[in-house]
Amino acid sequence: MSVPHAPGFLLMRRAGGVWGIANGAVEGLARDGAGYRVTAGGQALAADEILGVVADLRIYPVAPALRRFWSEEPAGVAVHAGVPLVVVDPRRLPAVLLCEIPRCEIPRCAAGEAGAGEDEP
Amino acid sequence: MGEPLKETRTRREGTHLLVRAGEYTCGLPLAAVRRVVRALTVHPLPGAAGELEGLAEFGGEPLPVLNLARLVNASPGANPSYPVTVVVRVGPADGREMLGLAADAALEVVHVPPDSIVAGEGGFLQGEAPLGGEVVRILNLEALGS
Repeated sequence: MSVPHAPGFLLMRRAGGVWGIANGAVEGLARDGAGYRVTAGGQALAADEILGVVADLRIYPVAPALRRFWSEEPAGVAVHAGVPLVVVDPRRLPAVLLCEIPRCEIPRCAAGEAGAGEDEP
Repeated sequence: MGEPLKETRTRREGTHLLVRAGEYTCGLPLAAVRRVVRALTVHPLPGAAGELEGLAEFGGEPLPVLNLARLVNASPGANPSYPVTVVVRVGPADGREMLGLAADAALEVVHVPPDSIVAGEGGFLQGEAPLGGEVVRILNLEALGS
């Protein structure tokens, strides 16, 4: 399934948290077992659940106190429908979102290309 | 005639909110406390240090929430019956930010004379002060945000 490059953010759930990624950075989205694989920034991301797309988010900068205890470098944080979320920077994707298994069926997915031949005789 | 200005200011600066954090009682400068609310629902941030519980929503904005007991290296206490989130302003005056501190209970507001505080190791823990037969850890919230 391709994702139109429209303004807004794709929201997904992963590891108990909610994550947002700019639609413009999303290159692909496909089901993968019980979850999903999202391609962004040339990398495959894992999502437990796709929550939908929102047109806009008010993004707050990451506070120093947050950076002090969390080594990831997101684009910011936001709230949607009363739920706090992390807006990721496609150039610095959080480790928890990256696919653990280097196999992905999404076209143009670097992880998929790396593992494409593994299942072939 | 009113209290001299300097004395009033000193008294205000010495006023603290006492909270329970595990086995410790901690004093938070009252001037930095914005609100005390029932423990907010926190969404975890995978990979974060143990002190950072995660993100909560407060007033429509994202609020990082730290575990106060972990911050002060307190052993966990009994299951708190009324856990709270203390919303505080931290950091230097020119860069204040809002932060939530998850604590086991809010206790009372007290005056801690500055000269009763025995300086700690610096940073987040300003020092310790005897109060009502126990030792209270006095926190320096300005250091937390910088």
